[in-house]
Amino acid sequence: MSLNYLVIRLAQILPTFFLIMVIVFVLVHLLPGDPTSALLGIRATDEAVNRINEQLGLNRPIPVQFLFFLRNFFQGDLGDSIVLKVSVTSLIISRLPVTLFLTAFAAILAVLLAVPMAMLAALRRDSAVDGAIRTGFQIGLSMPVFYIGIVLLTFFAARLRWFPVGGFGTTFGEDLYHLFLPALTLAFSLSAVLMRNLRNGIIEVLNAEYVDFARAKGLRNRLVLGRHVLRNALIATVALFGLNIGTLLGGAVITESVFAIPGVGRLMIDSIYGRDYPVIQGLTLTLAILVSLVFLVTDLVQAFLDPRIARR
Amino acid sequence: MTAAALPPGILGQRRIRRMGRGRKSLYIGIAIMLVMLVCAFFPEFVAPYDPLAFDYNAIMHPPSLAHPFGTDNFGRDVLSRVIWATRIDMQIAIFCTLFPLFFGTLVGAIVGYRSGWLEAVFGRLVDLTITFPFLVIVIAIVAVLGPGLLNMYIAVSAVGWVFYAQLMRADVQVQRQSEYVAAAKVLGYGEARIIFRHLLPNAITPIIVYWMTDMALDILLGSSLGYLGLGAQPPTAEWGVIIADGKNFMSTAWWISVFPGIAIVLAGVGFSLVGDGIADIFRRRR
Repeated sequence: MSLNYLVIRLAQILPTFFLIMVIVFVLVHLLPGDPTSALLGIRATDEAVNRINEQLGLNRPIPVQFLFFLRNFFQGDLGDSIVLKVSVTSLIISRLPVTLFLTAFAAILAVLLAVPMAMLAALRRDSAVDGAIRTGFQIGLSMPVFYIGIVLLTFFAARLRWFPVGGFGTTFGEDLYHLFLPALTLAFSLSAVLMRNLRNGIIEVLNAEYVDFARAKGLRNRLVLGRHVLRNALIATVALFGLNIGTLLGGAVITESVFAIPGVGRLMIDSIYGRDYPVIQGLTLTLAILVSLVFLVTDLVQAFLDPRIARR
Repeated sequence: MTAAALPPGILGQRRIRRMGRGRKSLYIGIAIMLVMLVCAFFPEFVAPYDPLAFDYNAIMHPPSLAHPFGTDNFGRDVLSRVIWATRIDMQIAIFCTLFPLFFGTLVGAIVGYRSGWLEAVFGRLVDLTITFPFLVIVIAIVAVLGPGLLNMYIAVSAVGWVFYAQLMRADVQVQRQSEYVAAAKVLGYGEARIIFRHLLPNAITPIIVYWMTDMALDILLGSSLGYLGLGAQPPTAEWGVIIADGKNFMSTAWWISVFPGIAIVLAGVGFSLVGDGIADIFRRRR
């Protein structure tokens, strides 16, 4: 991977950040549904509305508001939560690690599920095993995250008592234990997407001439599969994996609600119920920036796996 | 052994077997869709009870002949609620995709045909849209507009059209190079005629297939928002809402949540099978 590519890719991310901020700002400030009256209810007095508008800076012209928004963002200030009365930045900083832990855990589980299953399905193409794996994953794709969560929760936590019903631990081991069911819930649909893509990728690569050549060289089967087939089939899957991180974060919002995990997803839902606009705005912004950073990393990993990508 | 290394006879047999299975799953998909459509259009004839009627003599009864899916904590018949919910969830599938389907296809066709600066602007728009986790941006829009089905449709439509446009643009860009477009240009046809009469019908297949998948995804999304209290509002019977209703009774009355969940899975599988089947048929034609 050349330094050039790295620099170009890093430079591309700045306009994206700027546009993300424009969209989030427009979302909260220009859509019908005024935060102040939503906050105070329809029977609010004019003074009360004016006071809140003053406090949130909502009485200034829109472009000025946007400049303030930009300035505050670069100072790490996302405003204060209306309900919890603390700064949004500190709220997000305290809750984000939980969500990141959950998503990373889920991503690892999804890969651990998808890769061997895809290998098995591709190598035994059109067999009963392939059929069973594909049917299983098709059902997994059609199941909403919250439903998988409720079923796993009832069966493995409430009935069998193998896992805690919810919450989050204090040590790393406890975290793993507490978050296993939620992570599995979240991993399910991602692993289905990855499995399908990887299976087709492996089948395609198996037909490539360099695989025939590797076999003709007399390489052992495991070496051919690991070094030649899987590595090449994984390139497209890595891109798909990156693209699906957003979906995974969206799923985390639901999973955290089902399992009562104190992450940013649950914070988002709570803020919607409480009409806590600064928090919703801050969270949307943070998650979008996070996803664009993941895209950056995905591109770099892809360029590492397949150097031709960087030269394009 | 790879397919390429097999003698042609075996390969032929294999292809026939695969084709047979493709057709079979398409028929299963169509059957599921038909059942769903009957439930959505005529719930009053299919459902044995009123989905909203309380019956204090039949609270949380397990599945029986009188109530095949049992009853909930208000004595409402779960089967009837699941059947009536089909109407709402099919509505979600249609209303969430109608605007994206038409608007996205139109924009994609124009951008793909014209290219130039339009394409550059559109490219940035696509990059930006995929940066926002779909569920998060939809939830954020619903949060600002207020919970409810109508606002959910608005939120999903506002974001969803980009994916149709992206797909259509890619296809039109390929088709633009083909001979029939060159022939149409030589004949002196206008841009609009080339786009709508020639390019669109030839590039529409992936869009139809994606539409099926998208409807399945929107049912998942709609029920998720219903579950979170941001979509359909209780006491409306919607699959996600019913699951949320029964969630607290999962260990004592599993039937309240389990059956609507199965309905969601069935709907998803049905749409996917039909989508895959259509894709298969068109692939074979080419």
